[in-house]
Amino acid sequence: MGADGEVREGGIMTEYSIIGKPTPNVDGPAKVTGEAAYTIDMTLPNMLYGKLLRSPYPHAKILSIDTSKAEEFPGVKIVITGKDTPGGKWGLWRRFRELADQQALATDKVRFIGDPVAAVAATTEEIAEKALDLIEVEYEPLPGVFDPIEAIKDDAPMVHEDFPSNINATRHIEWGNVDEGFAQADYVREDRYVLEAAHPCAMEVHNTLASYDKGTGRLTVWTSTGSPYFVQQNLAEALKMREGDVRVIKPHVGGHYGGKNSTMPDCVNAAILSMKTGRPVKIVFNRDEEFTTTEHRTAQHIALKLGLKKDGTIVAFEAKAITNGGAFTGLGATTLFLTGTFITMPYRIPNYRYDGVRTYTNIVWGTSIRGFGAVPSKYCAETQLDRAAKDLGIDPLEIRRINAVAPGYEAPGQYKFESCGIQPCIEKMAVRVKEKWPKLEKDEGIGYCGFAYMSGGIFNWIDTPYAYSSAHVKVNFDGTVDLYSQAADVGQGHNTVAAMICAEELGIGIEDIRLHMGDTAHAYTDLGAWGSRETLMNGNAIKDAAGQIKQKLIDIARLKLGENIAYDLVAKNKRVYLELRPERGLSYYDLVKDAIRANDGVPLTGTGHYTPHNKGMISPAYGMGIMAIKAKVDRETGHVDAQDVLVVHDSGQIINPLGARGQVEGSIHMGLGYGLCEEMPMDQGMLLNPEFVDYKILRTRDMPQIEILDVPTYEPNGPFGAKEAAEATIAPAAPALANAVYQAVGAEFFSNVLKPEKVLKAIKEKEQKDKATPKAKGKGK
Amino acid sequence: MKRELNIVVNGESYNFFIEPKTLLVQVIREMLGMKGTHQACDSSSCAACTVIVDGKAVKSCSILALQVNGKEVTTIEGLADGTNLHPIQQAFIDNWAFQCGFCTSGQIMAAKAFLDENPDPTREEIQMQMDGHICRCTGHNMINEAIRDAAKRLQARDAAKRLPAQKSLQSQKWAQTAKSGKGA
Amino acid sequence: MANYRCPMCRKICSAHLDLARHYLGQTDKKHKEWLKTQGLSYATLIKAQVTEFGNKGYQALADVLKKTATEVEEG
Repeated sequence: MGADGEVREGGIMTEYSIIGKPTPNVDGPAKVTGEAAYTIDMTLPNMLYGKLLRSPYPHAKILSIDTSKAEEFPGVKIVITGKDTPGGKWGLWRRFRELADQQALATDKVRFIGDPVAAVAATTEEIAEKALDLIEVEYEPLPGVFDPIEAIKDDAPMVHEDFPSNINATRHIEWGNVDEGFAQADYVREDRYVLEAAHPCAMEVHNTLASYDKGTGRLTVWTSTGSPYFVQQNLAEALKMREGDVRVIKPHVGGHYGGKNSTMPDCVNAAILSMKTGRPVKIVFNRDEEFTTTEHRTAQHIALKLGLKKDGTIVAFEAKAITNGGAFTGLGATTLFLTGTFITMPYRIPNYRYDGVRTYTNIVWGTSIRGFGAVPSKYCAETQLDRAAKDLGIDPLEIRRINAVAPGYEAPGQYKFESCGIQPCIEKMAVRVKEKWPKLEKDEGIGYCGFAYMSGGIFNWIDTPYAYSSAHVKVNFDGTVDLYSQAADVGQGHNTVAAMICAEELGIGIEDIRLHMGDTAHAYTDLGAWGSRETLMNGNAIKDAAGQIKQKLIDIARLKLGENIAYDLVAKNKRVYLELRPERGLSYYDLVKDAIRANDGVPLTGTGHYTPHNKGMISPAYGMGIMAIKAKVDRETGHVDAQDVLVVHDSGQIINPLGARGQVEGSIHMGLGYGLCEEMPMDQGMLLNPEFVDYKILRTRDMPQIEILDVPTYEPNGPFGAKEAAEATIAPAAPALANAVYQAVGAEFFSNVLKPEKVLKAIKEKEQKDKATPKAKGKGK
Repeated sequence: MKRELNIVVNGESYNFFIEPKTLLVQVIREMLGMKGTHQACDSSSCAACTVIVDGKAVKSCSILALQVNGKEVTTIEGLADGTNLHPIQQAFIDNWAFQCGFCTSGQIMAAKAFLDENPDPTREEIQMQMDGHICRCTGHNMINEAIRDAAKRLQARDAAKRLPAQKSLQSQKWAQTAKSGKGA
Repeated sequence: MANYRCPMCRKICSAHLDLARHYLGQTDKKHKEWLKTQGLSYATLIKAQVTEFGNKGYQALADVLKKTATEVEEG
């Protein structure tokens, strides 16, 4: 372990063999030797290369498409347009049929720059690209709309017919009596914010290899995805096939961060081209397409009204969000929902109201990027809280402590915290901050942000009939184990967690387990890697499956040992033995042989599943904590130096401290980027920085050291007490940084991305404000 | 018109006739079928495609194959000694210095070339050297720790062979620049 | 205690404001069309609700529902 990060030791109630111990990545040898195969590395015999022709207009009618010249180009095997596709529409919000709005190729009109209108399959990638230039499309440009405030006006151009004022989705959440609450408050403030879009920037671009079997009429697709199941569902709808005739395989994935949940045109068109040519077809986006045509973090306008007693207690909170949905729904409607939920956490709010609307606009759609609504919403809520604290003369950490929830807290009708370590986190933070940063230099400040996040979602807008996660475990005669599930490791380390949970439950080693993950042919559905659901939901399914096998081994052991029925048996260290008399037990390997012989030669199997029930509207469990960032502001250049980060985190029982640390640090990198340099400026729907040259992300020299302290709790809804570990930590980074700047120099921000010129402007405004009025109520920009 | 390319990759000699515009990464990935070297951008910004050419770390997407005619190229596939991982690879595993793994080959090859030149780097020198690599998963710090750990392992291995650790002139220059603090 | 039925479906609420909240959560054509017959528009109500603090959109609809929603006996 490195010297700079603290190793987090888990386990508070039970001594585990594997859970809580730093465990190297089971995919490690493959990844460090270059042997790990990603979709982009895969080829099949007789494969063709596909490319998509994309609209140059943000909004236009398609008058005609002439593909004849492209079809004649040597090496081109087929050119298709919208009329050549099966015409099925799909979407992830399937429960509402009108929100299944995606299609393979635009038919009547295009809705964003980059909306695909034709697809080519050719013998080389170069030929396919050249053929695109030969396709002639006649467009009639239509007026476009790019900002949600404009999109919602009565006379705004309609992106989708049947959605007047471009209202794609709405969300209302309310509890208590907000208006009465404000009436009782001693202090009320309103602030308005504009939050920018940001791109997930996965290193592996979207790409798909599709192979259609003419004989059986079945389709196999390898794709860079976070959810093979979502892709299977969406493809079946797009292609008007039975789900069971579509097989989706997820190879290693080079990054996801929520940007690979929707099934995209690379996937559907590769499938269609394969079906029509009878050959495998591969479509790979280039980095420009990745930036300009794939899902990004939704830009939002957020207005907040906060009411406090003079002792700092929150009495009322109201939030309004208008989000820039873009051309399709994707999981953007879920982001709208969660924006209004995470914004309240982790504080006691007796009276709350949220109204959100997601509008269609003529840009690429905003969706479920890491943090899922918590990132923009916490930026607003926590910077507002700091200003309120200052006006009331209350220390910023203290105001968070005053309002922090306790175990058992329930937001009426919405969510409940069973395991809940936020208060000990804040206590630990208070002690550690004094030790770590006893003295601040000039223009240095410490900013705080509280946070909480779900461990997978309760909601089922995907309208699946299946359990949210299932897993199948098979034990062979020699004691080796095969573990099957559609769950997705997209780099976050779920394969390792899955093996650890299975091994712990059976009392064996990770080396005994072979994983078969992320393939829909293993009919053990899992909804995929989003909303931090895999550890809790897939973990529960795996523990359930392995637990069934463990019980069979225990039953045989009990028979053979002949001990008093009152004695408990445990499976550990490759044995099954009496918990109180460990010397009395039997070898796991022998018991497996016995159990199979006793079962007429059939291998031991267990099929487990998990679906949350009666757990509110959001999630069965929540990771939470508090983050502090020390930053220094250069008053002359406006440069903000994020010097040091301290996180105190309750992730229940950490399964793998190594993986958890990796995820926390990675999420902070992304969160700091959101606060310092990541943006997607557009001109009439055209992205101005579609390459890493201009889309700035933090480099290694920009990253501060990160100290992570753990407050272990036990989450009853999670496997071995586990819950989400580390998507929560993306949201607090940018607000903690903005708060550090606020504490250092008094500059206030109403948008993220603290570019030097913006910081200088804010410092000037503060100076002018100080001269004008001593204490002004906040108003936003 | 195609031109002749003679190249040694991971110790094996190859002879091709290629279009002059062919990039080194295309030879590696498409002609040799070695997929461990990845491309993650189209603007020479990310360094995921880093390989070693005659001891120097090189972005294989930004050099024509013919520019390395007659030279020795090492890709990630050539680092391990049969089934024995190189100490840098082992250090990456033990320090959880990758997550999705897509940028990892480039990071490891750059680290190899760097540690061959500068066997005992400071944290700042590592940051300076690795600043050209984009990683979206790790937040970078754990990669730097792995490289620091790898340096120690290599020093221990070399000490066992009684080889002195020497700083090259280049790495002494880096040390000077690194002291000026972090950038961007 | 009185209950009120939604003009367009079987939903029953005990307060007009709750009924308005239910109503504006429905996205089908039928619900949206009825609003037009009352001189209201779905989009305008939503905009009022989301751009101003307070329950402006719901309240405007609740005021109309007070006059139009059928009262239903409890039990």
